Amino acid sequence: MRLTPDDTTLRSEFADDPDMAAIVALFVRELPQRLAAMHGALSGGDLEQVRVLAHQLKGAAGGYGYPKLGEAAALVDHAVKEGQQVNVIRSRVGMLAAVAARIRP
Amino acid sequence: MTPQSSPLPKVLAIDDSELIHRLLRVRLQHEQIELHGSMVAVQGLKMARDLQPDVILLDIEMEGMDGFEVLQALKSDVDLQDIPVIFISATASMEDRVRALDLGAVDFVAKPFEVVELKARVRSALRVQHLVKMLAQKAQVDGLTGLWNRTYFDRRLAQEVSESIRHRRSLTLVMCDVDGFKKLNDERGHPFGDMVLERLAKILQSGRGSDIPCRYGGEEFGIILPNTSGSEALEVADRYRRAIELETWPSAAGKVITASFGIADISMLPGTQGVEDLIAAADSALYKAKLNGRNRVEASSINQSTG
Repeated sequence: MRLTPDDTTLRSEFADDPDMAAIVALFVRELPQRLAAMHGALSGGDLEQVRVLAHQLKGAAGGYGYPKLGEAAALVDHAVKEGQQVNVIRSRVGMLAAVAARIRP
Repeated sequence: MTPQSSPLPKVLAIDDSELIHRLLRVRLQHEQIELHGSMVAVQGLKMARDLQPDVILLDIEMEGMDGFEVLQALKSDVDLQDIPVIFISATASMEDRVRALDLGAVDFVAKPFEVVELKARVRSALRVQHLVKMLAQKAQVDGLTGLWNRTYFDRRLAQEVSESIRHRRSLTLVMCDVDGFKKLNDERGHPFGDMVLERLAKILQSGRGSDIPCRYGGEEFGIILPNTSGSEALEVADRYRRAIELETWPSAAGKVITASFGIADISMLPGTQGVEDLIAAADSALYKAKLNGRNRVEASSINQSTG
Protein backbone atom coordinates (compact mmCIF):
# COMPACT_ATOMS: atom_id res chain seq x y z
CA MET A 1 0.00 0.00 0.00
CA ARG A 2 1.46 3.35 -1.00
CA LEU A 3 1.11 6.46 1.12
CA THR A 4 0.91 9.51 -1.08
CA PRO A 5 0.70 13.15 0.01
CA ASP A 6 -2.75 13.30 -1.63
CA ASP A 7 -4.39 10.13 -0.20
CA THR A 8 -7.60 10.47 -2.11
CA THR A 9 -5.89 9.17 -5.24
CA LEU A 10 -5.69 5.45 -5.83
CA ARG A 11 -2.55 4.34 -7.62
CA SER A 12 -2.02 0.94 -9.12
CA GLU A 13 -0.32 -1.60 -6.89
CA PHE A 14 1.82 -2.32 -9.94
CA ALA A 15 2.79 1.31 -10.52
CA ASP A 16 6.46 0.39 -10.23
CA ASP A 17 6.27 -2.57 -12.61
CA PRO A 18 7.60 -1.49 -16.03
CA ASP A 19 5.91 -4.48 -17.72
CA MET A 20 2.52 -3.25 -16.55
CA ALA A 21 2.94 0.48 -17.25
CA ALA A 22 1.39 0.56 -20.71
CA ILE A 23 -1.68 -1.54 -19.99
CA VAL A 24 -2.34 0.19 -16.65
CA ALA A 25 -2.21 3.57 -18.41
CA LEU A 26 -4.62 2.28 -21.05
CA PHE A 27 -6.94 0.92 -18.36
CA VAL A 28 -7.04 4.29 -16.60
CA ARG A 29 -7.64 6.14 -19.89
CA GLU A 30 -10.57 3.86 -20.75
CA LEU A 31 -12.15 3.90 -17.31
CA PRO A 32 -14.32 7.01 -17.87
CA GLN A 33 -15.80 5.36 -21.00
CA ARG A 34 -16.66 2.24 -19.02
CA LEU A 35 -18.38 4.26 -16.34
CA ALA A 36 -20.21 6.31 -18.98
CA ALA A 37 -21.44 3.11 -20.61
CA MET A 38 -22.63 1.88 -17.22
CA HIS A 39 -24.50 5.14 -16.55
CA GLY A 40 -26.01 4.93 -20.03
CA ALA A 41 -27.25 1.40 -19.42
CA LEU A 42 -28.64 2.48 -16.05
CA SER A 43 -30.61 5.41 -17.49
CA GLY A 44 -31.82 3.14 -20.27
CA GLY A 45 -33.11 0.67 -17.68
CA ASP A 46 -30.79 -2.10 -18.93
CA LEU A 47 -29.77 -3.53 -15.56
CA GLU A 48 -28.31 -6.66 -17.10
CA GLN A 49 -25.89 -4.56 -19.14
CA VAL A 50 -24.98 -2.65 -15.98
CA ARG A 51 -24.20 -6.00 -14.40
CA VAL A 52 -22.14 -7.28 -17.35
CA LEU A 53 -19.99 -4.14 -17.30
CA ALA A 54 -19.59 -4.30 -13.54
CA HIS A 55 -18.73 -7.99 -13.75
CA GLN A 56 -15.95 -7.34 -16.24
CA LEU A 57 -14.47 -4.61 -14.06
CA LYS A 58 -14.76 -6.84 -11.03
CA GLY A 59 -12.75 -9.55 -12.77
CA ALA A 60 -10.03 -7.29 -14.13
CA ALA A 61 -9.50 -4.33 -11.80
CA GLY A 62 -7.55 -6.33 -9.23
CA GLY A 63 -5.24 -7.60 -11.97
CA TYR A 64 -4.42 -4.01 -12.90
CA GLY A 65 -3.64 -3.16 -9.29
CA TYR A 66 -6.93 -1.61 -8.20
CA PRO A 67 -8.55 -4.03 -5.74
CA LYS A 68 -10.82 -1.29 -4.26
CA LEU A 69 -12.23 -0.64 -7.73
CA GLY A 70 -12.85 -4.33 -8.20
CA GLU A 71 -14.64 -4.56 -4.86
CA ALA A 72 -16.87 -1.58 -5.70
CA ALA A 73 -17.69 -3.19 -9.05
CA ALA A 74 -18.49 -6.47 -7.27
CA LEU A 75 -21.07 -4.65 -5.14
CA VAL A 76 -22.84 -3.45 -8.31
CA ASP A 77 -22.66 -6.94 -9.83
CA HIS A 78 -24.14 -8.56 -6.74
CA ALA A 79 -26.87 -5.90 -6.34
CA VAL A 80 -28.20 -6.64 -9.82
CA LYS A 81 -27.78 -10.42 -9.39
CA GLU A 82 -29.69 -10.31 -6.11
CA GLY A 83 -32.50 -8.36 -7.76
CA GLN A 84 -32.11 -5.26 -5.62
CA GLN A 85 -34.18 -2.16 -6.24
CA VAL A 86 -33.01 0.27 -8.89
CA ASN A 87 -32.17 2.97 -6.34
CA VAL A 88 -29.86 0.56 -4.53
CA ILE A 89 -28.15 -0.31 -7.79
CA ARG A 90 -27.92 3.37 -8.71
CA SER A 91 -26.35 4.14 -5.36
CA ARG A 92 -23.75 1.39 -5.82
CA VAL A 93 -22.95 2.60 -9.32
CA GLY A 94 -22.46 6.01 -7.73
CA MET A 95 -20.00 4.55 -5.22
CA LEU A 96 -18.15 2.78 -8.03
CA ALA A 97 -17.94 6.05 -9.96
CA ALA A 98 -16.54 7.77 -6.88
CA VAL A 99 -13.78 5.19 -6.56
CA ALA A 100 -13.12 5.35 -10.30
CA ALA A 101 -12.69 9.12 -10.09
CA ARG A 102 -9.74 8.60 -7.71
CA ILE A 103 -7.94 6.14 -9.97
CA ARG A 104 -4.51 7.16 -11.27
CA PRO A 105 -1.89 5.04 -13.13
CA MET B 1 10.64 -39.69 -40.22
CA THR B 2 10.76 -40.69 -36.60
CA PRO B 3 8.99 -39.46 -33.48
CA GLN B 4 10.07 -35.90 -32.64
CA SER B 5 9.86 -33.49 -29.72
CA SER B 6 7.49 -30.51 -29.79
CA PRO B 7 8.04 -26.73 -30.00
CA LEU B 8 6.69 -24.13 -27.49
CA PRO B 9 3.45 -25.19 -25.80
CA LYS B 10 0.40 -23.28 -26.98
CA VAL B 11 -2.02 -21.62 -24.56
CA LEU B 12 -5.42 -20.47 -25.81
CA ALA B 13 -7.40 -17.97 -23.75
CA ILE B 14 -11.14 -17.67 -24.42
CA ASP B 15 -12.62 -14.66 -22.63
CA ASP B 16 -14.89 -11.88 -23.81
CA SER B 17 -12.94 -9.19 -21.96
CA GLU B 18 -10.23 -7.29 -23.78
CA LEU B 19 -8.90 -6.28 -20.34
CA ILE B 20 -8.21 -9.90 -19.49
CA HIS B 21 -6.44 -10.62 -22.78
CA ARG B 22 -4.16 -7.59 -22.34
CA LEU B 23 -3.36 -8.67 -18.82
CA LEU B 24 -2.61 -12.24 -19.86
CA ARG B 25 -0.34 -11.06 -22.65
CA VAL B 26 1.70 -8.97 -20.24
CA ARG B 27 1.70 -11.41 -17.35
CA LEU B 28 2.54 -14.50 -19.41
CA GLN B 29 5.05 -12.83 -21.76
CA HIS B 30 8.05 -14.38 -20.02
CA GLU B 31 6.61 -17.88 -19.83
CA GLN B 32 7.90 -20.42 -22.36
CA ILE B 33 4.59 -20.51 -24.20
CA GLU B 34 2.84 -19.21 -27.29
CA LEU B 35 -0.30 -17.33 -26.18
CA HIS B 36 -3.38 -17.11 -28.38
CA GLY B 37 -6.70 -15.49 -27.57
CA SER B 38 -10.28 -15.19 -28.63
CA MET B 39 -13.05 -12.95 -27.38
CA VAL B 40 -15.89 -14.94 -28.86
CA ALA B 41 -16.70 -18.48 -27.70
CA VAL B 42 -17.59 -19.86 -31.13
CA GLN B 43 -14.43 -18.44 -32.66
CA GLY B 44 -12.49 -19.79 -29.68
CA LEU B 45 -13.70 -23.30 -30.45
CA LYS B 46 -12.60 -22.96 -34.05
CA MET B 47 -9.20 -21.71 -32.93
CA ALA B 48 -8.91 -24.70 -30.61
CA ARG B 49 -9.50 -27.03 -33.55
CA ASP B 50 -6.94 -25.26 -35.73
CA LEU B 51 -4.26 -24.77 -33.06
CA GLN B 52 -4.62 -27.92 -30.94
CA PRO B 53 -3.40 -25.93 -27.89
CA ASP B 54 -1.80 -27.58 -24.88
CA VAL B 55 -3.93 -25.67 -22.37
CA ILE B 56 -7.13 -23.63 -22.66
CA LEU B 57 -7.92 -20.79 -20.26
CA LEU B 58 -11.66 -20.34 -20.26
CA ASP B 59 -13.96 -17.69 -18.85
CA ILE B 60 -17.38 -18.72 -17.60
CA GLU B 61 -19.51 -15.65 -18.12
CA MET B 62 -19.50 -14.78 -21.79
CA GLU B 63 -22.29 -13.46 -23.95
CA GLY B 64 -23.81 -16.01 -26.28
CA MET B 65 -22.17 -19.32 -25.40
CA ASP B 66 -21.01 -19.43 -21.80
CA GLY B 67 -17.91 -21.22 -20.51
CA PHE B 68 -19.76 -24.34 -19.41
CA GLU B 69 -21.24 -24.76 -22.90
CA VAL B 70 -17.78 -24.26 -24.43
CA LEU B 71 -16.37 -26.88 -22.08
CA GLN B 72 -19.06 -29.36 -23.05
CA ALA B 73 -18.39 -28.68 -26.74
CA LEU B 74 -14.67 -29.29 -26.15
CA LYS B 75 -15.25 -32.53 -24.28
CA SER B 76 -17.56 -33.93 -26.92
CA ASP B 77 -15.05 -33.30 -29.71
CA VAL B 78 -12.74 -36.28 -30.07
CA ASP B 79 -9.85 -34.08 -31.23
CA LEU B 80 -10.20 -31.57 -28.40
CA GLN B 81 -11.36 -33.57 -25.40
CA ASP B 82 -7.89 -34.25 -24.03
CA ILE B 83 -6.83 -30.60 -23.88
CA PRO B 84 -6.69 -29.48 -20.23
CA VAL B 85 -9.04 -26.60 -19.48
CA ILE B 86 -8.46 -24.10 -16.67
CA PHE B 87 -11.45 -21.94 -15.85
CA ILE B 88 -10.63 -18.34 -15.00
CA SER B 89 -13.71 -16.66 -13.69
CA ALA B 90 -15.01 -13.86 -11.55
CA THR B 91 -17.90 -16.13 -10.62
CA ALA B 92 -16.36 -17.75 -7.58
CA SER B 93 -19.17 -19.78 -6.05
CA MET B 94 -18.34 -23.25 -4.83
CA GLU B 95 -21.16 -24.66 -6.97
CA ASP B 96 -19.58 -23.19 -10.08
CA ARG B 97 -16.18 -24.59 -9.22
CA VAL B 98 -17.58 -28.05 -8.62
CA ARG B 99 -19.63 -27.88 -11.79
CA ALA B 100 -16.56 -26.82 -13.77
CA LEU B 101 -14.48 -29.67 -12.40
CA ASP B 102 -17.26 -32.22 -12.88
CA LEU B 103 -17.66 -31.13 -16.50
CA GLY B 104 -14.00 -31.93 -17.04
CA ALA B 105 -12.01 -28.79 -16.28
CA VAL B 106 -8.71 -29.59 -14.61
CA ASP B 107 -8.48 -26.42 -12.56
CA PHE B 108 -10.18 -23.21 -11.57
CA VAL B 109 -8.62 -19.80 -10.96
CA ALA B 110 -10.75 -16.98 -9.59
CA LYS B 111 -10.59 -13.50 -11.07
CA PRO B 112 -8.99 -11.15 -10.29
CA PHE B 113 -6.21 -13.69 -10.49
CA GLU B 114 -2.99 -13.67 -8.59
CA VAL B 115 -0.32 -13.74 -11.29
CA VAL B 116 1.98 -16.13 -9.49
CA GLU B 117 -0.85 -18.55 -8.90
CA LEU B 118 -2.09 -18.38 -12.50
CA LYS B 119 1.41 -19.06 -13.82
CA ALA B 120 1.84 -21.98 -11.44
CA ARG B 121 -1.47 -23.54 -12.47
CA VAL B 122 -0.73 -23.06 -16.19
CA ARG B 123 2.69 -24.67 -15.75
CA SER B 124 1.15 -27.53 -13.82
CA ALA B 125 -1.41 -28.18 -16.55
CA LEU B 126 1.33 -28.02 -19.21
CA ARG B 127 3.43 -30.55 -17.30
CA VAL B 128 0.53 -32.96 -17.20
CA GLN B 129 -0.26 -32.38 -20.86
CA HIS B 130 3.37 -33.06 -21.79
CA LEU B 131 3.18 -36.39 -19.99
CA VAL B 132 -0.11 -37.23 -21.71
CA LYS B 133 1.42 -36.50 -25.10
CA MET B 134 4.51 -38.56 -24.34
CA LEU B 135 2.30 -41.42 -23.27
CA ALA B 136 0.21 -41.18 -26.43
CA GLN B 137 3.35 -41.11 -28.51
CA LYS B 138 4.87 -44.07 -26.68
CA ALA B 139 1.68 -45.96 -27.40
CA GLN B 140 2.44 -45.51 -31.10
CA VAL B 141 6.10 -46.42 -31.00
CA ASP B 142 7.43 -49.97 -31.11
CA GLY B 143 9.44 -50.65 -27.98
CA LEU B 144 12.11 -52.86 -29.56
CA THR B 145 12.97 -50.96 -32.71
CA GLY B 146 11.90 -47.38 -31.94
CA LEU B 147 9.95 -47.32 -35.21
CA TRP B 148 6.30 -46.30 -35.41
CA ASN B 149 4.15 -49.29 -34.56
CA ARG B 150 1.30 -51.03 -36.37
CA THR B 151 -1.34 -48.77 -34.82
CA TYR B 152 0.44 -45.70 -36.18
CA PHE B 153 1.09 -47.40 -39.53
CA ASP B 154 -2.61 -48.17 -40.06
CA ARG B 155 -3.66 -44.64 -39.19
CA ARG B 156 -0.88 -42.93 -41.14
CA LEU B 157 -1.33 -45.04 -44.27
CA ALA B 158 -5.05 -44.23 -44.29
CA GLN B 159 -4.18 -40.52 -44.07
CA GLU B 160 -1.60 -40.72 -46.83
CA VAL B 161 -3.94 -42.67 -49.10
CA SER B 162 -6.69 -40.09 -48.75
CA GLU B 163 -4.18 -37.23 -49.24
CA SER B 164 -2.82 -38.97 -52.30
CA ILE B 165 -6.28 -39.33 -53.78
CA ARG B 166 -7.39 -35.83 -52.87
CA HIS B 167 -4.30 -34.02 -54.12
CA ARG B 168 -3.43 -36.51 -56.88
CA ARG B 169 -0.02 -37.14 -55.33
CA SER B 170 1.99 -40.27 -55.83
CA LEU B 171 2.27 -42.79 -53.03
CA THR B 172 4.01 -46.13 -52.82
CA LEU B 173 3.92 -48.73 -50.07
CA VAL B 174 6.88 -51.03 -49.44
CA MET B 175 6.43 -54.20 -47.38
CA CYS B 176 9.66 -55.72 -46.16
CA ASP B 177 10.25 -59.08 -44.49
CA VAL B 178 13.45 -60.60 -43.07
CA ASP B 179 14.40 -63.76 -44.97
CA GLY B 180 14.52 -66.92 -42.87
CA PHE B 181 13.81 -65.14 -39.62
CA LYS B 182 12.30 -68.13 -37.83
CA LYS B 183 15.32 -70.23 -38.71
CA LEU B 184 17.55 -67.42 -37.47
CA ASN B 185 15.75 -67.33 -34.12
CA ASP B 186 15.89 -71.12 -33.79
CA GLU B 187 19.61 -71.32 -34.63
CA ARG B 188 20.87 -68.26 -32.80
CA GLY B 189 18.25 -67.52 -30.19
CA HIS B 190 15.71 -64.76 -29.82
CA PRO B 191 18.10 -62.11 -28.48
CA PHE B 192 20.01 -62.41 -31.74
CA GLY B 193 16.77 -62.13 -33.71
CA ASP B 194 15.86 -59.01 -31.75
CA MET B 195 19.24 -57.51 -32.49
CA VAL B 196 18.74 -58.16 -36.20
CA LEU B 197 15.38 -56.38 -36.11
CA GLU B 198 16.90 -53.42 -34.27
CA ARG B 199 19.73 -53.14 -36.78
CA LEU B 200 17.32 -53.44 -39.70
CA ALA B 201 15.17 -50.70 -38.21
CA LYS B 202 18.20 -48.40 -38.07
CA ILE B 203 18.92 -49.10 -41.71
CA LEU B 204 15.33 -48.32 -42.64
CA GLN B 205 15.50 -45.10 -40.63
CA SER B 206 18.63 -43.95 -42.41
CA GLY B 207 16.84 -43.45 -45.71
CA ARG B 208 15.12 -40.33 -46.99
CA GLY B 209 13.54 -38.12 -44.34
CA SER B 210 10.17 -38.34 -46.05
CA ASP B 211 9.98 -42.13 -45.86
CA ILE B 212 7.95 -43.54 -42.97
CA PRO B 213 9.25 -46.93 -41.78
CA CYS B 214 7.02 -48.80 -39.34
CA ARG B 215 7.12 -52.14 -37.63
CA TYR B 216 4.20 -53.98 -39.19
CA GLY B 217 4.49 -57.40 -37.56
CA GLY B 218 7.00 -59.75 -35.93
CA GLU B 219 9.59 -59.62 -38.69
CA GLU B 220 7.70 -57.50 -41.18
CA PHE B 221 8.07 -53.79 -41.83
CA GLY B 222 5.86 -51.38 -43.75
CA ILE B 223 7.46 -48.31 -45.27
CA ILE B 224 5.17 -45.56 -46.47
CA LEU B 225 6.67 -43.46 -49.25
CA PRO B 226 4.59 -40.34 -49.88
CA ASN B 227 5.21 -38.41 -53.09
CA THR B 228 7.09 -41.37 -54.50
CA SER B 229 6.35 -43.30 -57.68
CA GLY B 230 6.71 -47.04 -58.05
CA SER B 231 9.92 -46.70 -60.08
CA GLU B 232 11.53 -44.38 -57.51
CA ALA B 233 10.44 -46.74 -54.77
CA LEU B 234 12.14 -49.63 -56.56
CA GLU B 235 15.46 -47.81 -56.21
CA VAL B 236 14.81 -46.85 -52.61
CA ALA B 237 13.84 -50.40 -51.66
CA ASP B 238 16.86 -51.82 -53.46
CA ARG B 239 19.15 -49.49 -51.50
CA TYR B 240 17.69 -50.85 -48.27
CA ARG B 241 18.00 -54.40 -49.59
CA ARG B 242 21.64 -53.89 -50.45
CA ALA B 243 22.48 -52.25 -47.11
CA ILE B 244 20.94 -55.17 -45.22
CA GLU B 245 22.78 -57.72 -47.38
CA LEU B 246 26.10 -55.97 -46.74
CA GLU B 247 25.59 -55.61 -43.01
CA THR B 248 28.01 -57.50 -40.79
CA TRP B 249 26.76 -59.18 -37.64
CA PRO B 250 28.61 -59.41 -34.31
CA SER B 251 28.91 -62.98 -33.00
CA ALA B 252 28.04 -64.27 -36.48
CA ALA B 253 31.10 -63.62 -38.58
CA GLY B 254 30.49 -64.20 -42.28
CA LYS B 255 26.75 -64.58 -41.79
CA VAL B 256 24.68 -62.86 -44.45
CA ILE B 257 21.15 -61.81 -43.56
CA THR B 258 18.81 -60.57 -46.24
CA ALA B 259 15.28 -59.23 -46.63
CA SER B 260 12.68 -59.36 -49.35
CA PHE B 261 10.66 -56.36 -50.51
CA GLY B 262 7.29 -55.96 -52.19
CA ILE B 263 6.21 -52.58 -53.48
CA ALA B 264 2.85 -51.23 -54.63
CA ASP B 265 2.30 -47.85 -56.29
CA ILE B 266 -1.21 -46.63 -55.58
CA SER B 267 -1.58 -45.25 -59.09
CA MET B 268 -1.12 -48.77 -60.47
CA LEU B 269 -4.16 -50.09 -58.65
CA PRO B 270 -7.31 -50.31 -60.75
CA GLY B 271 -10.08 -47.86 -59.96
CA THR B 272 -10.47 -46.22 -56.58
CA GLN B 273 -8.72 -48.62 -54.30
CA GLY B 274 -8.13 -48.07 -50.63
CA VAL B 275 -5.75 -48.93 -47.88
CA GLU B 276 -6.46 -52.67 -47.71
CA ASP B 277 -5.94 -53.08 -51.44
CA LEU B 278 -2.62 -51.24 -51.30
CA ILE B 279 -1.40 -53.45 -48.47
CA ALA B 280 -2.64 -56.58 -50.25
CA ALA B 281 -0.85 -55.54 -53.46
CA ALA B 282 2.43 -54.85 -51.65
CA ASP B 283 2.08 -58.10 -49.74
CA SER B 284 1.56 -60.19 -52.84
CA ALA B 285 4.58 -58.50 -54.44
CA LEU B 286 6.53 -59.42 -51.29
CA TYR B 287 5.34 -63.01 -51.64
CA LYS B 288 6.54 -63.00 -55.26
CA ALA B 289 9.95 -61.81 -54.05
CA LYS B 290 10.14 -64.74 -51.62
CA LEU B 291 9.11 -67.24 -54.31
CA ASN B 292 11.66 -65.82 -56.73
CA GLY B 293 14.57 -66.49 -54.45
CA ARG B 294 14.45 -63.88 -51.69
CA ASN B 295 16.85 -60.97 -51.20
CA ARG B 296 15.03 -59.13 -53.94
CA VAL B 297 12.53 -56.39 -54.61
CA GLU B 298 9.37 -57.14 -56.55
CA ALA B 299 6.76 -54.65 -57.70
CA SER B 300 3.08 -55.31 -58.06
CA SER B 301 1.70 -54.56 -61.54
CA ILE B 302 4.90 -53.01 -62.93
CA ASN B 303 7.02 -55.25 -65.12
CA GLN B 304 10.25 -54.58 -63.29
CA SER B 305 12.10 -56.16 -60.40
CA THR B 306 15.64 -56.16 -59.09
CA GLY B 307 17.80 -58.24 -56.84
